[in-house]
Amino acid sequence: MVKKEKFEPLFTKEEEQLLSDFSRNVSTKSSALFYGSAFMVSALPIWLYWRIHMIEMLPALVWFILVTLGSTYLISFAYKNTKFILKHKIAIKREEAVTREITRKYADDKKISKKEKDEKALFQKNDVADYEATAFSIFYNNALFLVIVVLLSFYLLKGFSTTANYIFSVGIASGLIALFSTGTQ
Amino acid sequence: MYSLKSFVIVALICTSLTVSSQNADSQQARLLVSKQVLNKLLVQDSDILVKYTIYNVGSVPATNVVLQDSGFPDEAFATVKGNLNIRFNRIPSGANVTHAVVIKPLTYGRFNFTAAVVQYKSSEGAEEPQFAISSEPGEGYIISYAEYDKKFSPHLLDWFVFAIMTLPAVVGPFMLWWVSKSKYELILKQKREKLSKD
Repeated sequence: MVKKEKFEPLFTKEEEQLLSDFSRNVSTKSSALFYGSAFMVSALPIWLYWRIHMIEMLPALVWFILVTLGSTYLISFAYKNTKFILKHKIAIKREEAVTREITRKYADDKKISKKEKDEKALFQKNDVADYEATAFSIFYNNALFLVIVVLLSFYLLKGFSTTANYIFSVGIASGLIALFSTGTQ
Repeated sequence: MYSLKSFVIVALICTSLTVSSQNADSQQARLLVSKQVLNKLLVQDSDILVKYTIYNVGSVPATNVVLQDSGFPDEAFATVKGNLNIRFNRIPSGANVTHAVVIKPLTYGRFNFTAAVVQYKSSEGAEEPQFAISSEPGEGYIISYAEYDKKFSPHLLDWFVFAIMTLPAVVGPFMLWWVSKSKYELILKQKREKLSKD
């Protein structure tokens, strides 16, 4: 008979949450938001190709689906990377302000200890950094993606056939923002 | 699209050669006819202006001049303004007459603009009518309205709708970030102001 050993957890719940906040993995909720937003912005160029480039919709339908799905994956990848880089920077920037906010909030509360206040400030800082990094990452990548798509489709790849223009414009734009997001600065 | 001028010149030379090969000594009216398509672009469902000019280079007036153009079949063209068959009672010697017709192509693709025929009496006493063939504008490509729209329309409404659609994707997250950033920067600013006062 093997005696079951009872392991003591390495980290407390708070520590585990803090670690998860600073890992590259995003929560399911955050992931759904990223994929939803990435899908929406990936599908937007179809309007341009339908209405302005006057693409034949039916023959290009398969390409629309494939390119949109591929682009959704690449853009959500870019969101995650950008968010991860930004979150640390924003956390450092907001630290002072968040601590002050918490101090003011619990100034009259005598029951709460300093340690608890510090903990609350830490969690609040992470929440704020997470929120701002997520919002800015979505804004930045969406804007960059749309600008690159418009530049490619109406200027650089103007001479291509409409379908090839769509595939390369959206493919290159999503590829580029995914590539840019892997930088560390 | 095609060189109309060259067609006109060739046709004028051909017609004048035909006319001059006839009895040059007799007093006759001689008509030279040019047919020109004036549009730079030929677009489906858009007006095309066709201009006919008849020059009488003979020494006497031409009478009972009938211009007939059967080069625009009903299934491919609609006449918007003017007549493709027109009669001029008299074209004096040394004078010219201009006639214009506005037509609308109903379909798109290559189209051969053929010559018009002019029938006239070369002299007062002539019993047999004289025929003249106009210049041929030649082959032209009528582009579809969709193709024309793609190339030349500014698509302002489509761009506007696109801008509206990008709002939730770009302006939405930007505003969320900006509001949070402003809130915490204001707290910092207030703190610094307080410190500087102290």
